[in-house]
Amino acid sequence: MTEAPRVRAAAGGLALSGESLAGLMGAVLEKGGSFRFVARGESMHPAIRDGDVVTVVPPGGRPPRTGDIVAFVHPETGGVRVHRIVGVDGGRYVLKGDNALGADPAVGRDRILGFVAGLERAGRRRPLGPAFLAAALARLSRSAWFTRLARRLRRTFSRPKGRS
Amino acid sequence: MSTKIDLGRVYRPSEDVVVREIEGEIVIVPLVAGIGDLEDELFTLNETGRAIWSRIDGRRTLAAVVRELADEYDAADGIIQEDVAGLLQELLDRRMIVERG
Repeated sequence: MTEAPRVRAAAGGLALSGESLAGLMGAVLEKGGSFRFVARGESMHPAIRDGDVVTVVPPGGRPPRTGDIVAFVHPETGGVRVHRIVGVDGGRYVLKGDNALGADPAVGRDRILGFVAGLERAGRRRPLGPAFLAAALARLSRSAWFTRLARRLRRTFSRPKGRS
Repeated sequence: MSTKIDLGRVYRPSEDVVVREIEGEIVIVPLVAGIGDLEDELFTLNETGRAIWSRIDGRRTLAAVVRELADEYDAADGIIQEDVAGLLQELLDRRMIVERG
């Protein structure tokens, strides 16, 4: 054998995306484990930011509710998205990124892999916020004008880059 | 350094890991991960590790694993046995495999 056999930690060195990540996450959650991964993108800003570590837990017996942040398999791309449930329409879940102007295509219960139960930013745990606020935010978030307003407010009040 | 192993034993992947082959890599996710950083939660094997892992299947004895690998890699049994023993210990320490009951 040319190289001694080794087990390697794969964090940061393994590009899992799309269906691969969905399959792996689905298998872990199905067996009752939780799945941690690094979130990419700004569609859930400010609740989840690019680079945050997200912990997804299996749904168990609890049905998803408006306001929950869930990991789901996007019906068009087959990849995993982490967005908020903003409504239930005819038994299908309407999901949307807090910072996205439009909703995702509605999905059935079978496409929801698990709930986001934990969040870490720069090595520190962050609270997800109380459920009643999440539900209120979900209802407001359905409207594009609210998202635009939130974006504008964030731009206005955010600290300019480069200043401490 | 020589590591002794009982060649009559049979091991299999633990129920506490999820294993997937993704784009040629074997990815192992322990379900009972320590509360640590992300590096404790997702593992892969190098090429020789994959060759051994694929034979830890709950059927082959370690002797059979060593023999097959010695044939495949055209290497001495002793060298292969060292490699198998090293990986076996690592997999046992990480609770990724268990001895067949």
